[in-house]
Amino acid sequence: MTTQLSLTTTRRADGTPVLTATGEIDMSNAADFAAALAGALDGDTPLLVDLTAVEYIDSAGLASLFEHVERIRLLAGPLLAPVLTISGLADLTTVDGS
Amino acid sequence: MGDGEVGRDLAAVDWSSTPLGPPGEWPQSLQTAVGILLTSKFPMWMAWGPRLTFFCNAAYRTVTLGSKYPWALGQPASAVWAEIWDDIGPRIEGVLATGEATWDEGLLLFVERSGYREESYHTFSYSPLRDDDGALVGMLCVVSEETDRILGERRMSTLRDLGSDPSIVRTEEETLAFAARQLERNAKDLPFTLVYLDEPDGGARLAAATGIDAGHPIVAALATAEPGLVDLAGEGPAGEGPAGERLPTGDWPEPPVRALTVPMPPYGFLVAGLNRYRELDETYRGFVELAAGHVATGIAAARSYQAQQRRAEELAELDRAKTTFFSNISHEFRTPLTLIMGPVEELRERLSGGDDRVREELDVIHRNGLRLGKLVTTLLDFSRIEAGRMQARYEPVDLALTTGELASVFRSAIERAGLAFTVDCPPLPEPVHVDRGMWEKVILNLLSNALKFTFDGGIHVRVTREDDEAVVTVADTGVGVDEREMPRLFERFHRIENARSRSNEGSGIGLALVKELVGLQGGTITAASTPGSGTSFTIRLPLGTGDLPADSGSPLSPAGDSYLQEALRWLPGEPAEVPSGSGDGSRVLVADDNADMRDYLTRLLRGAGHQVHAVHDGQEALDTLRTGVFDLVVSDVMMPRLDGLQLVAALRADSRTASTPVLLLSARAGQEESIEGLEAGADDYLVKPFSAAELLARVRANVELARLRTHHTRWRTALIDSLQEAFFVCDEAGAVIEINAAFTDILGYGPEGLPYQPVHPWWPREETDAEAYRQVAAAFATLLDQDRGAYTIPVRHQDGHRLWVAAAFNQVVDPDTGRRVIVGTVRDVTDEHYAIQRESALAGLGLRLSQADDLPGALHGVLEELRSLWQAEYTAAAVFAAGAAVPEITAVGAPVPVARVRTLAELRDQPLLTPVTRPAEGTGIVIEHPEGTMVLWLELGERRPFTEQDQTLLALLAGHIGQGLTRLHQIDEQRETALALQRAILGPAQLPAGFAVRYAPATRPLKVGGDWYDTVPLPDGRIGIVVGDCVGHGLGAATVMGQLRSACRALLLQHSSPAQTLTALDRFAELLPGAACATVFCGVLDPESGELVYSSAGHPPAVAVAADGSSHLLDQGRSRPIGVRSGGPRTEAGFTVSARATLMLYTDGLVERRRKPLTEGIARATAAIQDGRRSPVEELATDVMDRLAPADGYDDDVALLLYRHPGPLDVEFPAEATRLAPVRQVLRGWLDRVGVDRTVAQNVLVAAGEACANAIEHGHRDAPGGRIRLQAAATVEELRLIVTDSGHWRVPQPADQAHRGRGLKLMRALMNEITVTTTITGTIVEMQVGIL
Repeated sequence: MTTQLSLTTTRRADGTPVLTATGEIDMSNAADFAAALAGALDGDTPLLVDLTAVEYIDSAGLASLFEHVERIRLLAGPLLAPVLTISGLADLTTVDGS
Repeated sequence: MGDGEVGRDLAAVDWSSTPLGPPGEWPQSLQTAVGILLTSKFPMWMAWGPRLTFFCNAAYRTVTLGSKYPWALGQPASAVWAEIWDDIGPRIEGVLATGEATWDEGLLLFVERSGYREESYHTFSYSPLRDDDGALVGMLCVVSEETDRILGERRMSTLRDLGSDPSIVRTEEETLAFAARQLERNAKDLPFTLVYLDEPDGGARLAAATGIDAGHPIVAALATAEPGLVDLAGEGPAGEGPAGERLPTGDWPEPPVRALTVPMPPYGFLVAGLNRYRELDETYRGFVELAAGHVATGIAAARSYQAQQRRAEELAELDRAKTTFFSNISHEFRTPLTLIMGPVEELRERLSGGDDRVREELDVIHRNGLRLGKLVTTLLDFSRIEAGRMQARYEPVDLALTTGELASVFRSAIERAGLAFTVDCPPLPEPVHVDRGMWEKVILNLLSNALKFTFDGGIHVRVTREDDEAVVTVADTGVGVDEREMPRLFERFHRIENARSRSNEGSGIGLALVKELVGLQGGTITAASTPGSGTSFTIRLPLGTGDLPADSGSPLSPAGDSYLQEALRWLPGEPAEVPSGSGDGSRVLVADDNADMRDYLTRLLRGAGHQVHAVHDGQEALDTLRTGVFDLVVSDVMMPRLDGLQLVAALRADSRTASTPVLLLSARAGQEESIEGLEAGADDYLVKPFSAAELLARVRANVELARLRTHHTRWRTALIDSLQEAFFVCDEAGAVIEINAAFTDILGYGPEGLPYQPVHPWWPREETDAEAYRQVAAAFATLLDQDRGAYTIPVRHQDGHRLWVAAAFNQVVDPDTGRRVIVGTVRDVTDEHYAIQRESALAGLGLRLSQADDLPGALHGVLEELRSLWQAEYTAAAVFAAGAAVPEITAVGAPVPVARVRTLAELRDQPLLTPVTRPAEGTGIVIEHPEGTMVLWLELGERRPFTEQDQTLLALLAGHIGQGLTRLHQIDEQRETALALQRAILGPAQLPAGFAVRYAPATRPLKVGGDWYDTVPLPDGRIGIVVGDCVGHGLGAATVMGQLRSACRALLLQHSSPAQTLTALDRFAELLPGAACATVFCGVLDPESGELVYSSAGHPPAVAVAADGSSHLLDQGRSRPIGVRSGGPRTEAGFTVSARATLMLYTDGLVERRRKPLTEGIARATAAIQDGRRSPVEELATDVMDRLAPADGYDDDVALLLYRHPGPLDVEFPAEATRLAPVRQVLRGWLDRVGVDRTVAQNVLVAAGEACANAIEHGHRDAPGGRIRLQAAATVEELRLIVTDSGHWRVPQPADQAHRGRGLKLMRALMNEITVTTTITGTIVEMQVGIL
């Protein structure tokens, strides 16, 4: 059984592309997540990755984010904050709390 | 002018103003005279020149001149001695005129040299002094002052006179008059004196006065004078008394001005007027006081003399009254005596031919009447003499003839006494004037006295003439009189004590009367005596003139007969011829020195049927009693040789006669007398006179009492002989002096060997049985030392066999001898001794066997017991196991000597249970041993014998030892079985997660029990948990436990309700013997929620300790133990085990301790959980078991079950990425149960996830199908996670370094501790993180 994860790409009213992830991201679906990230990236416009509804993310998921770190901004809740901080991702990109 | 002070003072005189001119111009003669004067040590003065200029020397100045010095130097002599110039002036003029010297001795001169006119006395000579031309120009006075000597002599004379009253002083008045005369003679020192005596009313009365008229007013005034000086001048005009009357002057021209009052306690005081010409110095005052003392002494003597006088007069008056009384009473006696004697005489005549008995009794009356008459007459004579009324009728008597005749009266009596009697009375040339009757009394008294005190030799009467005196001598060879007693020999009523005599009768007036009577005849009597060789009385009477009257040599007066009759009764008579009476056999000894009394008593007692033997005194009685047996002694108190009291004392001191009763008779009626008699040990006391009936009654009572007493003695002998216990009496030294028949029966030693001196023959031989000998010696020491006691000792029967006897003894004082004796009993306890020895040995062995944990322990105990029982040097056991080449030897006390090992091997083939004694080695016995054959060996040492009884006991014990060892062996085996079974039943249990269990058998003695624990996974995911305790121990209990456990397990699966399970178990237990009363704690736990439902069947409550350490007792749902029918339905209770709390179930063995409440044990167990709540539950279980174990191990078996909620997580899954999410889900749920917060939970999830991902990615990338195991466990404070895979972690490649590195970095950051261990079998990642 694959880990539950739904990925939705939207665009905000200001035109900012948004990737909203819901569920858990681990080794089993990290590829899906990476693909969604890549698909949502639109030129030079920074992508807002909304991880607010993600309950778990491991190093495989984090690796996908590191890949695009200069073009994305992150939106995450307190649950993921330690992981994002410890991994150093928070230092490389903007992480907004929700 | 010479040296010295006087010389200097002379030099200072202004000589130029004197007729002598300056000294330089003095003639040589003057200078010479002055030189002589100054150098002389003798008092001198001189006068020179026309005005008789005064010179003196130092001695004169000191002795005589007084305050006139130095003024007098150079003054005219008439001025210097103006006050006495009248006396000395003419003398000096005479010297100057005639040139002849003067001499005056003790001349009284009133000089004024001390501020007053002073009485002084001088002896001096005036001699002429001539100038250079030979003309008389002066005089030299050589003087010695004698005032002190003259005053001293005067005063001494007065004192001497006062103290030398030539008369034997009489009344106080006379004494005072005498004193006054002496005081009056010294009117110089005592111008007047007044003696005042104290009156009873407190005032003072003038008793004597000198030098002053008693009516002088000052006399009354001085009656109240205080002691000390009285100023008489103050009493009126100078020199006059009050009322202006002039005081007497004494020998002086002027009256005294002072008086001295001297107390004379307690009589009064003396006032002395003082010589005004003398100072009251110490000497003067002393003189007055001494004089007063003399007066006081005189008064004292006079008063004392008066008091004595009065007392003497009173005594004399008393004596007169007594004499009168004696006289009267004696007269009064005579009348009834006459009336007795007259009729008796008549009766004797009338009945002379009648009954012998009557005649004899009349004789007794007659004799004693005579005796009484004699006593009365003597008393009367005395009172007459006293009263001066003795009418002597003097007549000329042929004294030799009369005396010879009187003496012959006594011849028969004296010869009957076995004494020689010589009468030597040659005729005298002249008659002697005597009163015949009185002379008769004198001679008869002396003879009677001589007979009384003479036992050997003879009595001599002699009449001779010496000058003009007739000398009558009565001499004996008797006991004599002690020198100290001689002065009182003739004293009235004086009796010489303790003198041996024929009779103790007597009034003590015989010799006194003799003396008085001899005195009345104008004669004298003297006595000479030597104790032990005799006494002689010598009477001297003046020879008279005149013719002998015709009737001289008249026959003896009746009085003479009375002396003879009395004396005859002192002598041993014929045995009384009294019929012996019927008699019932009681033998009475009569002791009396008076023959009449003796006969009377004899007759009286024989008449009453007693057998009587009569003796004369106490000594004879004592001799008789020592050889014969009497039921009673009747004895007089006053007897010669040995009196009644001494007799009693002597009888009581001799064991042969100590119990003979004594009845004392005495004429002295004082209470003290009878007490003295009874204290001496007399049984009864009778005072004379007594009636025949009274005597007989007393005799009868005493005889009966005595018989009762001898009956007691006989009874005592019979009783003691009939005792089954041996009886003995020891003296103080321990010699056995009395035994009974049983003693002989038990020990074989009979009374014929008495006394048995220690060491007694029944003692064990010291040389062959030292230990037994020591025991007996110690017991014997207590026998002598202690008041009472008991001991059990080994002794030897006469035939040699060993006995054990129990002896009990008491020290008592022999009432007869007063000596300490030991009375004891002895019982043969040989059988009991061996029985007790057997029993205690068996009990001891039994204890040793039961206490032993195993066979070797038991054997050791047995050897110790045997060693202590026999006090052996050592004991040993050699076990010859089947097939073993060498025996296994155990020894206690000492190692087995090598030489004995061979002995033991030899004994191995001896028959079983038969003791074998090897002389000089020891004793062995063969016993069956579970492993083969065993030889038990004892070596006593010290040459102690191993007796027959010892052998019997050893055989008996050996049998028990064999059985005991076999039984122990069986028990051993059984226990092993039970333990195996129990372990088999209990484990290995597949415990659900979170549980830890322990079981421990009881340690001492090691034994299994009926405790169990169980966990039962139920179909609904819950877990049934059970801890139970069956009654009893051992294999049986273990079996029951197994069945109950199975049943419980099955029932839980069926009901999944604790209460229902236990109720069903009740029914099951009814069918299972031994199951009743088991206690069970049964619960059903939801491992997810921690909810627990439980019910307890009489089991100790479970304990829950929360993460914060708080504890909770699960003591609800309680009910009776299993299989106990009573009460209602079983109930159950609920409890939620909180996160990381620990639940503890246990059996009572864990918490129950002797003498401590159960709650204390539960608290200790709870504390152990609290302290260990940070430890993993498995570790905690071990801790709890260790911590609660008593020092020497659990004495009951223990089952323990712990649960930590939640149980650890343990999941295994295939190494596939898709498995990560579900595993995470499980972990998330577990973390939730552990109760960690979201952040920690997230961290754990991430770290675990990374580890798992690593395992999948690296461990199994090359070997798919591998499995990963995730384990997680919680303690109170932290979580531990372990991720294990069976693959190999690949060394990270550079390509994915960043990615992998990130994962590891995450894990390290999130966890407190990470350990990665890679081995060939796989990789283990251990992670730890704090919860709080």
